[in-house]
Amino acid sequence: MGKVKKRGVAGQAKNYITRTQAVKKLQISLPDFRKLCIWKGIYPREPRNKKKVSKSATASTTFYYTKDIQYLLHEPLLAKFRDQKVLEKKISKALGRGDVSDAARFERHAARPEKTGKPRYTLNHVIRERYPTFADALRDLDDCLSMLFLFANLPSTSAVPAKMIARCERLCLEFQHYLIVSHSLRKSFLSIKGIYYQANIQGEDILWLVPYKFNQRIVGDIDFRIMGTFVEFYMTLLGFVNYRLYTSVGLKYPPKFDQLKDDQGGELGAFALEGINLATDAEATKAITNGESTEQHGPDPKVQAEVDKIVRQLKEDDTNGDKPAEADVAGDAEEAEVPSDAIDKFEPVAAGGDILPQPSYSSSDPAKLFSNFTFYLSRETPRQPLEFILRAFGCKRIGWDSVLGDGSFTTDESDPSITHQIVDRPVVQAAMEAGGDGEDNQTAQKLGPNARYPGRIYVQPQWVWDCVNDEEIKSPENYAPGAALPPHLSPFVKSKEGQYDPTLPLDAQETEAEALDAEIADGDEEEAGSDNDMDVASDNEDEDDDFGGFSGEEDEEDEEDEEEASDEDEEAATTLQRQRELEAEISGKQVKSKQVDPKMKAKLEARKELEKKAKEEAEDLERAKGMLSKKKRKLFEQMQYTNKKKSTEDEKLRAKRRKLEKELAAKKAGKA
Amino acid sequence: MPVIKPLSGNPEGPSQYKQPSRKGKKAWRKNVDVTDVEKGLEELNDQIIKGGVIAEKKSSDLFTLDVVGDAALQKRLPKHIKKGLKADEIIAQRSAIPAVSLRKRPGDKTTDGVLPVKRQRTEYVTQKELRRLKKVADGEHESIVTVVDADHDIWDAPDQEKEIQEKLPFLPKKDKLKPPKTLRQQPISLAANGKSVPAVIKPTGGYSYNPEFADYQDRLIEASKHVVDAERKRLEELEADHIKAEAAARSRAEAEAAEARADLSEWEEDSAWEGIESGGEELSGKKKRPERKTQAQRNKIKRRKEAERKAKHEAALKKKYGQVERIDQLAEEVYEKENALQVQKIEMSDDSDDEGNDEELRRRQLGKFKLPEKDLELVLPDELEESLRRLKPEGNLLRDRFRNMLVRGKMESRRKIPFRKQAKTKVTEKWTYKDFVLG
Repeated sequence: MGKVKKRGVAGQAKNYITRTQAVKKLQISLPDFRKLCIWKGIYPREPRNKKKVSKSATASTTFYYTKDIQYLLHEPLLAKFRDQKVLEKKISKALGRGDVSDAARFERHAARPEKTGKPRYTLNHVIRERYPTFADALRDLDDCLSMLFLFANLPSTSAVPAKMIARCERLCLEFQHYLIVSHSLRKSFLSIKGIYYQANIQGEDILWLVPYKFNQRIVGDIDFRIMGTFVEFYMTLLGFVNYRLYTSVGLKYPPKFDQLKDDQGGELGAFALEGINLATDAEATKAITNGESTEQHGPDPKVQAEVDKIVRQLKEDDTNGDKPAEADVAGDAEEAEVPSDAIDKFEPVAAGGDILPQPSYSSSDPAKLFSNFTFYLSRETPRQPLEFILRAFGCKRIGWDSVLGDGSFTTDESDPSITHQIVDRPVVQAAMEAGGDGEDNQTAQKLGPNARYPGRIYVQPQWVWDCVNDEEIKSPENYAPGAALPPHLSPFVKSKEGQYDPTLPLDAQETEAEALDAEIADGDEEEAGSDNDMDVASDNEDEDDDFGGFSGEEDEEDEEDEEEASDEDEEAATTLQRQRELEAEISGKQVKSKQVDPKMKAKLEARKELEKKAKEEAEDLERAKGMLSKKKRKLFEQMQYTNKKKSTEDEKLRAKRRKLEKELAAKKAGKA
Repeated sequence: MPVIKPLSGNPEGPSQYKQPSRKGKKAWRKNVDVTDVEKGLEELNDQIIKGGVIAEKKSSDLFTLDVVGDAALQKRLPKHIKKGLKADEIIAQRSAIPAVSLRKRPGDKTTDGVLPVKRQRTEYVTQKELRRLKKVADGEHESIVTVVDADHDIWDAPDQEKEIQEKLPFLPKKDKLKPPKTLRQQPISLAANGKSVPAVIKPTGGYSYNPEFADYQDRLIEASKHVVDAERKRLEELEADHIKAEAAARSRAEAEAAEARADLSEWEEDSAWEGIESGGEELSGKKKRPERKTQAQRNKIKRRKEAERKAKHEAALKKKYGQVERIDQLAEEVYEKENALQVQKIEMSDDSDDEGNDEELRRRQLGKFKLPEKDLELVLPDELEESLRRLKPEGNLLRDRFRNMLVRGKMESRRKIPFRKQAKTKVTEKWTYKDFVLG
């Protein structure tokens, strides 16, 4: 017989401790224990066998590592908690005795550490402990920022004091200022929950969520004591992170805060950043404060010079007549940042020439995306996020309606220096029809609907976000007021291989087989077109119908065809041929397989080759499957099935898009 | 060597204090005459002001030897100059001690100008304050830590311990507190696949305010499936409860009916006066020992038990035969189920991203309470607007953050307890007739 072991002396029973035991050991109350755990980063754990751990009759639910709790015993904050407990006892004793004034006196004295000489406790040492390096702190910044931005936007209640909210707001604005100065904001996304932002700080991607203004309801089922504890911790953390970030870019922390401006809704404008170095102080302050410095009203002298140069060049071009196209291109490349509605597109000089790479901002730094524009925000647009994003991407001059708060570059909508205006109001129909009845006209005049200042671009807010996410200036015509906006895509989605991606062109994502099929189909259609115009028209109608419904018959046919192709090995090569024959029959044409031109033939060959390859692969797989056990084989088949379903869906989407593009091209050709 | 000194101390013999008693009004401070002491003190102060205590000064300071007086001077100068102005005289009387500065210093009583309400009883504590104090006594206190502005870089702070060691190497080294390894372990993620859930989950295209159709459709279908499932589950539970209640009612009714039948049969068998007798016994209130069962009763019990056994056996047989009939189907079902589980496992484990999902949670959770459900964050199709201005934000970020903390296992889930458990009160009748007093 082996040695008899006593229960609860070693192993799990020693490694874990229940919550009640922990609270008793630390001699503090349960809420205090919770606080301490949150601050120190001690989480509940799960023993493998609960019964072996607790000795009590009732089932304990929360366990901690004994060593963690042992470590907590050394925490200086614990002394403070115990002091508080002693004070509570004193007060309750005095109250019980009826010595109310004594109780009040105890409380009063305890609340004044400067008089009693007892130290104030901060969380500084905890921050240092939990984040030994700055990189650690950055990694945990997601949660911190989301929490603080959320609390900065809460209404103040008894549970969330106004002081806390104000501090959160200040810290958040300071952080935003850093992002603006360092141009480290990368992406942003307008979701139904709030606005997501992603920044890259020292190589670390940080993602946080900011609620929309004035939207937060306070719900009852949330423990604000716990949330408050987290917020206290995170406020301390963000303070230190801000300090580090500010000093890393040579700025003084904390920045100067103007209470008056803040009261008037200055937000970002209420802060004045200062350089650390006294010599460069004045310059730095000017450069960073929000661009509304008066001397910048005129156009940037550098840009002006550049423009002059270009104009001169153009004149010379006119006189010279022909100059090499390359020079023009180079000039354009230099000019790319001058405000204009869109980047110039490079077009080959002669037909069939090389396709020139189109200029974009994707490689340029985000500091220059909006640097030469002057924006004006109409009063219905969300100012805070727009201001932040525009500034973070290099915009220096942003004006807005005075309703939106203080600190704008201009509140005058008619300012001639404005290049872009962001509007989000519907186009009033009455003004569009010039010959409407008198009443409509009157109201329209009073409102001044659709009044446009010439020489500026009107866009909807989404334009800014899409520009930022694609790192290029999008063409504003899709985002004009009243226009149906293109869908706002999430920049955080990683597209999988073979998945349909609406942002990519078709050639970049379709499979080889798909491309070949499409080309072959094109060739067929062309032939059909040359044969009979009527047929083409009817074909197009069919396609239109298809597009209207979600599941066209053709799609289903395609699907079936594909299944056939994979199932029947022998006939796979001939399927296509037969299908074309069938199509020809339906459209009432002769089968013209004999008369295919050599290009077409090559394509067909390639397609055959591909199919053969696919078949071989399938055979290999089949053979490999034979080696598997029955169970595993079934599993494998199931997985294959789901994968196939997904890929066919993607294929369908791509086919739809191809059709659309073709139609568009046809329309364009028709117009031309 | 002894030094002979004059006698010191009081030459007179020990005696009582002059003040015969400290009792009575005469002993009060206000009734004791201290004018001579005060006068002396005043004189002393005066002397100090004029340059020092005369008694302590040297005679050379006090007196000079005037050898020759200037007699001519008096004759030369006019009388008023010689005498000087009264004002000058007053001004010239300077104190040797510097004046107390008149600068205002903030004292304990210095306020911001807003005077507090003057109360007769300064010790009085208002009701509001009292309520607060009671709360404090119950453990509700303000945060014990203060959040201060960052004034240094904590990640770049010099190591004090090291500095001290360099300066004073002879001091014994302090043992550094070593955090345990367990502290570095990640918290338990509550996601079903056990992977850690990020603090902010990357939003998919379906969350866009102006989503692409396919993305939105996917989300809508998924969300509606979720809701429909929940509703179906609820209805099923309701149905099950209903059936259960019905069955219970039916069995109760049956039992009652059987009892009634038994009573009736007994009634028929029993003689009339026996019944009356039993009625009389009930009235007495005493519990009687169970009667011996009659043979008829025993038989009846036996019959019932036998019938029950038979019914049970038959039901089991029936079930067995039924299962035997569709044994292939059952085997297939079990197999399918296992397969599905396996597939699910595989899909979960080799999900391309290594992030947990905060919607599918594992069964076993931390703490006693279940995690709150995730809010349905979906704009319905008819509310879907293209304009940012008209967007109605969905979901509650507060709840979202709170739930995220729980899912990441930062703490155990908690439920708000709106009221504390009240002491149970038992209402009883006061029996006043017991309170009588004799005499």
